[in-house]
Amino acid sequence: MSLATARPLVSVYNEKSEEIKEYPIALPAVFKAPIRPDVVNFVHQQLSMNHRQAYCVSDKAGHQTSAESWGTGRAVARIPRVRGGGTHRSGQGAFGNMCRGGRMFAPTKPWRRWHRRVNVNQRRYALASAVAASGIPALVLSKGHVIDQVPELPLVVSDKVQELTKTKQAVQFLRRVKAWSDIQKVYKSQRFRAGKGKMRNRRRIQRRGPLVVYHKDQGLRRAFRNIPGIDLISVEKLNLLKLAPGGHVGRFVIWTETAFQRLDRLFGSWKVPSAEKKGYNLPQPKMSNTDLARLLKADEIKKVLRVPQKKVVRRVRRLNPLSNTRAMLRLNPYAAVLKRKAILQTRKRLQKKPVAKVAAEKAKAPEKKKTPTKKTPTKK
Amino acid sequence: MSSHLVWSIIRNNNAFLRKKRNINKPFSTEPNNLTNLSSYRYNGLVHKKTVGVVDAPDKKGFTVVYKKATKQNKPRQCIVKRTMKSGPRRSLAKLERLLKANKYRTDLTKAALRRASAVLRSQKPLPAKKQKAKKQE
Repeated sequence: MSLATARPLVSVYNEKSEEIKEYPIALPAVFKAPIRPDVVNFVHQQLSMNHRQAYCVSDKAGHQTSAESWGTGRAVARIPRVRGGGTHRSGQGAFGNMCRGGRMFAPTKPWRRWHRRVNVNQRRYALASAVAASGIPALVLSKGHVIDQVPELPLVVSDKVQELTKTKQAVQFLRRVKAWSDIQKVYKSQRFRAGKGKMRNRRRIQRRGPLVVYHKDQGLRRAFRNIPGIDLISVEKLNLLKLAPGGHVGRFVIWTETAFQRLDRLFGSWKVPSAEKKGYNLPQPKMSNTDLARLLKADEIKKVLRVPQKKVVRRVRRLNPLSNTRAMLRLNPYAAVLKRKAILQTRKRLQKKPVAKVAAEKAKAPEKKKTPTKKTPTKK
Repeated sequence: MSSHLVWSIIRNNNAFLRKKRNINKPFSTEPNNLTNLSSYRYNGLVHKKTVGVVDAPDKKGFTVVYKKATKQNKPRQCIVKRTMKSGPRRSLAKLERLLKANKYRTDLTKAALRRASAVLRSQKPLPAKKQKAKKQE
């Protein structure tokens, strides 16, 4: 199976974004995993529910009255009304969802099912897809990241990055690796949230920038955390919500060297099951060769197909032979003969007619002369 | 991964897609799209070989941007730019020759020529409209 697609070598770049030519790393098999945006979307949706905090209405809300219905016969609606007197509140409707100050319909409860569980295999599938998608420039570009000048994708950087301590150094590194334009995009996207979230402590929003995946934090986190848009994860704890933010695949990821090498052990390849995830093997793709164009031109497939019909057969308009002579002739060539005969006959008949007419007139005329006519002669 | 795969992931959902009401064909704002339509053929990200035509930086002539098929994973090394400065007829002929001689995305030649002509036309000085207005007054 061409699943064993060539594992190209990925070069490692040092902090100055120069290629360290001595030891390129073979692409971990995860990057060839099938990309399933539907799985990723589903899992992302479910997982993002897990961070939720419960909200509900107070369970006493709307019930802190001793209202009772006045019953019938008082010319008022039968809703329970507040007892007593001496205040506006007395006699007002209570308890119902339609009443002012009443409890709501179906008061929200804290035991709503806030969290969702997702099958482990599905979670891993989604992760593998997300990692694979981060290695395809087209997908990362389509997500909107600015990676035109990045030296290589997936971007692997030497472990020295993990030892950076100052944000200044981090910025310099990003600049050198040409990831800074992505962060500039984040800066430009900083804006206020639309809607009530502003008053609910979610005032500002911004785009997501590059994701840095490291193996060991030796200052890296503190160096990078103040740069807007940047997220940091350890390889051991890959998070779909970070790898596919919004449920869409293709985040721009910067891997450190060791982190990159860990991926093979974490996910395994199709031949070798994962060393760390018990009994896990990378998902099988539905199509081993997805290049449609080449498939359609392949001999094995062409052999089985019939000859292509390139001639376009269009609908022919149906002509009525009774009114369209050519159509008639197509069906019955003898009709030409019949028609011709008919034409000739009428012609002959018409020729005879004037002679007969003149003769008839001559016969008529003398009769007319005998009788005196007061009538004016009709013009012919 | 194959361009078909990536296209089917991207086609309805990407940062460059522009859809507006009452307009049936979605547009696309990615840089190397010759017709700015969002379609498999004209997409500038999905394929191994792409052609883009842009205004040249000094507003004279146009620049052809094309992708090197071998450097897929290296965005920085992937793109080659060639500026065509000679007059319109010659540059268009050059463009056509560039694409046809290298058999580089020949299905895009017409679109590339069109775009190049449009760029060149936009660089011509605008016709004198002001005079007419004065005369009418």
